[in-house]
Amino acid sequence: MSSEDTLSYNGTHTIQTLSDFSNHTIAELVHAIAEFIEVAIHTILYVRQVYPADIFVRRKKYNTAVYQSRHPALNEYITGAVKAGKVEKVVVVIKDKEQTAMERFIFSLDTIINVEGFNKDTSVEDGITFSSLAQYFRSFILKLNLIEAQIGQMYLGDDVSFTIVIELKDGEVPQKSISDKDPPPWIPAVSQHTTPGVKKEAELHMIRAVNTGVINISLAVEESAEKVIKEKAERLAQRKAETQARKDKAAADKKAEESNKTSNEKGKERAPDVEVEPKPAEGNNASS
Amino acid sequence: MILAGTSQGSSEYYYEEEDSQFLEALNNAVLPGDQPLISAQQQTIQKDNASIKDDDDEDLELPPPAQQSLKRRHSSVVPDSEDEQDVQEMPKDDTYDAYKFGGFGDYMRRKRAKLQIQNAEMVEGGQSVAEDRLFQGLAIYINGFTRPSVQELRHLIVKHGGVFHPYLDRKALVTHIITCSLTPAKIREFKHMKVVRPEWLMESIKQGVLLPWKDFQYVHDQRIETSQGIKAKQPSLTDLTQEPEAPSSAQPRTSFLQPKKPIPDPLYVTDPATKADAARVPGYAADKSNPNAQRVMANPEWRKANTSASSNFIEGYYKNSRLHHLATWKAELLELVQEAQDRAEAGGGVGHAGKIKSEAQTAKEHDVSMRGAMLRSPSKWKGKGKAAPDEDRVIMHCDFDCFFVSAGLISRPHLKGKPVVVCHSQGNQGGASSTSEIASSSYEARSFGIKNGMSLQQARQLCPEVVTIPYEFERYKEFSLKFYTVLMAHAEDLQAVSVDEALIDVTTAVNELKERSDFGDPAKDYAEQIRAEIRNVTSCEISIGISHNILLARLATRRAKPGGSYHLFQDDVQEFLAPLQITDLHGFGWSMKQKAIEKLGTAQLGDLFSRSKGVLIDALGKATGENLYKALRGIDDRKLESHKPRKSVSCEISYGIRFENNEQAKNFIFQMATEVKKRLDAINMVGKSITLKIMKRDPTAPVEAPKFLGHGACDLFNKQMPLQGPTGRATSDENLIGEHAWRMLKSFNFDPKELRGIGIQVQKLESSSSAASSTSSGQAVLPFKPNAQGPPPGKATTSKATLPERPPAQPPITTTRQPTKAEPTLDLPSFSQVDRSVFDALPPEIRAELESEYKRRSESPAPPVQPGHMPKNPISRQASERRSVPPQIFPDKPKAKPNYGRIAQQLAPRSRPSVSPTKAAIYAWAKPKPKKPTVRITDAALRALDLDPEVFNALPVKVQREQLVRARLIRDRGRLPTPPSERKVIKPAKIVFPPGFVVYRAPKPRAKHIQPPSLKQYGKNKEKLVFTETGDIQNILETWLMTFRHWKPRAKDVEYLSKYLVQSVDGKEYTDVSVERAIQVMRWWLLLMRRLWPAYEVLDEDDLDSSQRDPVGEAWWDTFYDVKEKMDEVVRKRFGSGISLK
Repeated sequence: MSSEDTLSYNGTHTIQTLSDFSNHTIAELVHAIAEFIEVAIHTILYVRQVYPADIFVRRKKYNTAVYQSRHPALNEYITGAVKAGKVEKVVVVIKDKEQTAMERFIFSLDTIINVEGFNKDTSVEDGITFSSLAQYFRSFILKLNLIEAQIGQMYLGDDVSFTIVIELKDGEVPQKSISDKDPPPWIPAVSQHTTPGVKKEAELHMIRAVNTGVINISLAVEESAEKVIKEKAERLAQRKAETQARKDKAAADKKAEESNKTSNEKGKERAPDVEVEPKPAEGNNASS
Repeated sequence: MILAGTSQGSSEYYYEEEDSQFLEALNNAVLPGDQPLISAQQQTIQKDNASIKDDDDEDLELPPPAQQSLKRRHSSVVPDSEDEQDVQEMPKDDTYDAYKFGGFGDYMRRKRAKLQIQNAEMVEGGQSVAEDRLFQGLAIYINGFTRPSVQELRHLIVKHGGVFHPYLDRKALVTHIITCSLTPAKIREFKHMKVVRPEWLMESIKQGVLLPWKDFQYVHDQRIETSQGIKAKQPSLTDLTQEPEAPSSAQPRTSFLQPKKPIPDPLYVTDPATKADAARVPGYAADKSNPNAQRVMANPEWRKANTSASSNFIEGYYKNSRLHHLATWKAELLELVQEAQDRAEAGGGVGHAGKIKSEAQTAKEHDVSMRGAMLRSPSKWKGKGKAAPDEDRVIMHCDFDCFFVSAGLISRPHLKGKPVVVCHSQGNQGGASSTSEIASSSYEARSFGIKNGMSLQQARQLCPEVVTIPYEFERYKEFSLKFYTVLMAHAEDLQAVSVDEALIDVTTAVNELKERSDFGDPAKDYAEQIRAEIRNVTSCEISIGISHNILLARLATRRAKPGGSYHLFQDDVQEFLAPLQITDLHGFGWSMKQKAIEKLGTAQLGDLFSRSKGVLIDALGKATGENLYKALRGIDDRKLESHKPRKSVSCEISYGIRFENNEQAKNFIFQMATEVKKRLDAINMVGKSITLKIMKRDPTAPVEAPKFLGHGACDLFNKQMPLQGPTGRATSDENLIGEHAWRMLKSFNFDPKELRGIGIQVQKLESSSSAASSTSSGQAVLPFKPNAQGPPPGKATTSKATLPERPPAQPPITTTRQPTKAEPTLDLPSFSQVDRSVFDALPPEIRAELESEYKRRSESPAPPVQPGHMPKNPISRQASERRSVPPQIFPDKPKAKPNYGRIAQQLAPRSRPSVSPTKAAIYAWAKPKPKKPTVRITDAALRALDLDPEVFNALPVKVQREQLVRARLIRDRGRLPTPPSERKVIKPAKIVFPPGFVVYRAPKPRAKHIQPPSLKQYGKNKEKLVFTETGDIQNILETWLMTFRHWKPRAKDVEYLSKYLVQSVDGKEYTDVSVERAIQVMRWWLLLMRRLWPAYEVLDEDDLDSSQRDPVGEAWWDTFYDVKEKMDEVVRKRFGSGISLK
């Protein structure tokens, strides 16, 4: 926690000294945010070890190291998802082999002001400057890289995959494909992956948020109820095992059995949101 | 010896290594007599005087650079004599051995060796050893069918010491290829080889020396005519050697081409024996080829004297050419007519026909030309202006009856009534076979079937007692002049068709006659009157056809002849035309008749009359079809063309053109050019365009045409190019004309022997006086040094140093330098233009050089350059000296000269382009500038406007226009319109807003920063404190917690904090940043709680009994959980889950 403070403090400080005061236009901001989301998704996939680390290359973005997938199909998928349209939330769902959402990385977008089309390219007064936005994004990425400290590792091995879910504002429809021949790229999402399907036990970690004054963006990670319960059970079992181990070393054998227990899931169907079919990771060898 | 040469056969790699051995074998097989190599070589060189290429081929030391495959040279080097014994043995050793497996290369090698051995045996075994060594050194391959046969040739070759190669798989071995015909593919293949006709061998043997092969070079184009086949019949060498005349080397070819026994059979199958037969003979030809011509052409002496090869051929030609005379007169006549007309138009026409007679006579006496005679235009001459309605016009076509004959009969009255013809050939000279063309025949002769254009020979067949009379050009001219004089007296308009034929318009005269007497045909009366006058003057008969247009008048003349007149009326036209053929119409020839018969089925005008215009046009083409359609209806819109200006001047000769080589052709062309110039000068014209007409013998036609020295059947070629004088203007310069014509002829690339006719025509004529005046204003001519013919080497050369700045007065500079080195002509900039800084920076020696050069130039006229003044390039000098025999084929490399160009470039002023201007640029500059647009107004008009023309013309165009407008305004309105006092400037209206009105401008989009929720407190001094930052909130929280840690939290405080936190966590309202902040606050709270009451975080009701409980801690924890639950409630709405404080 102290480290986060330092970071944010430093970040603030840097922003004030380094900011150039040219303002964004709305179009530029949208572009920057979309770009950030793309970068962040890559980072999430790297950090959460959805794909083997080999397929990522280290690159420099926002003055920090980011990891970008080298897999063209994956890149295409991510790019396509980011360009989807007017979204309220972009959710990267990390799921296990039963397609159960374990973690949801939520990019929450909040449009504060509506800018008319003719003003798309006029700079927004009193908005955030380019450089400070870049600094914020940097802090997003940095905190994202440290997320493991908060939500721990998932020992899912090959079974992990991911989905991107976009949650639209009320009354919006997802963008259509460019040509009519292609089927629309989006399909209704599994409700468990969506916000309304989240159960009470799920826990939310706010990673970072920034107010641009135009489009506010925040990134949070939500550990699903399934994960929380499972981990709680694991913790309990572990604790019991520890107490038992203190008494009897032989009791340690039981630990393995109990660790396999998983909680049953119960999903309640709700109005469908939209998601993109996940792409199974190819040759997924992620391991510790 | 075997020559180095191209070896590119596909099979060459079969023979890679054993080459030298094989060559050796070959050598020995061929040369059993052990001729020393070098002597053989020399011998060949001596004998073969043909070409450099030839020499190079034979010279092993210096192969020409163009030779492709030097890589194989090693193999072709003839071995030393020491090898020869080996070689002698070698082929015998293994040549007749059994073949080993896979030895195809071996097979071929042996086969060739065997053949050579066979050849050697042929020589030894046959006749006495080696008749001569005539063909020594030659390796000959015979391609295809030849005459004499391959066997014979082979025998001959071997007998005379040559090598006969039955295979051409290795071209390097073969020196010559003998052939009578080649396929195009082979022509290409043998392009670089010496391909010779078999006559070369035969002739060489006959003469006992090896003739230059080039004279017998195989030329593809030439056809081997059947007549040549005779040659092949000569069966043996003995016959060949017995040939009577040894043709001189000057014309070996013709001697081969012409049959040797030219005595013709006088009875030709095609000869007409009867009139009917004669009618069938299409034209002139009595024979396909002219045997006499062939005979005499074989004689070089005669040939030199009588054909185009002769130096004064043209002169003689024109002296005797009937057509030439006629054409010249016609041109003169036309001019005379025009002159007369011009005078009449000028209004000075007085005069009377009577006077003309004497003038014509005087003219006759001293000049053959009619130029001296002046025609008096008749008083009633009206010029061309008036035009009567077509139907009322009266056109007369006046034509002498057999002009030449009747003129000739004036002095030979005893011949009247006999068949008389006019032709060159006189008496019995030329005998029965005379090909002299009949120019004119009397009506008596015509009754025998003799026609104009027949040969005398034919005429004699038809009428043996025909009498010939010679041309009398002067008399013709005199009569012609008289004829025209009479016509001029009567005609309103006159078109001279030829010397003895004219079209006149006599409408007015006839109308006057008509008014006087109503009965009879006044036109016919008038015609008779004219006829009578002419009869009086010339005592010859003319015929006159009368009608209302040219076409019909011409037709009427047919009916009028001989010696009468006929008036063809419109009503009779159809009836008159019906029996005629299409060729009877003027302007429709033989080919048109063929076309009509082919496409319309008839050439009879009566049949064609019913055809629609469309049908005629389809069959004969647009213009011709229309013309025919009109002609059939007696319609002819043509006007008399008395005013036709001369369009071209030409000189065409198609008789006696027999060239041996290009040199003769070139000379002839230049002679013709002189003639053309003469003619141009005669009419004071210069031309801008030149056309060369070439008649080339049709490949199927015999070498000698049926007409003696005529052109026979020919292919026609035309080429035109602009004729440009030194300034790009029209010219009549004979050298230029010759040069242009020769260039065109060369570009055809014809064999000069095939030429049968040459014509040079100059068109786009301009009056030379106007051209001359414009020439003077043109650019001066730069005296460029001619580079085509350099001075002959070996003498001190004179070359002109040409300086563009000072074209005149550069006398030739004599140098004593190497003859091959022309003095460099480089344009140094004039001294004033030299960039001083560059000049100073030059190395002292170069500077000195330049200074001396400039000094030399500034002296005028320039003295001869001292050799010392010119820089010498020591290296080049050395190089040239080292090379004792300078290769003539290589042009001098410019690098051998001192690099003046570079220095000149550096010296040139920087601001200008340093390269010399291109030719095009010079022309562009020299071209007269486009005339500036001027206001077109006459001086008179200007004066009328009260403007001084002189001043006006000096003004710029813009001002001129201005002044013109001003003057005209003053004239028309009497004053200038007063200009508006002020200039009106149109500006867009300014929008004036009412005071206080502010224009609305849409504001820029403005970022909206939502105020985060805040904790409000009152400070010590009761001031209002607002806390929003995370740290502040955390501090407050901590203070609160620490203050109350021993007590339960007060509900009011809890309410206060929880309200803030719940607010914060509502991301929708207060942004996720405040959510983040709230979480951080909560984490801090949790941290503090864990510090203070760690045991109570997870309260297990069952584990702890009540005594151990700390109610304060529990209360705090409860409070914490309550607050968190409230916050989770809010967060769940947004994210679906509660916040995690981990």
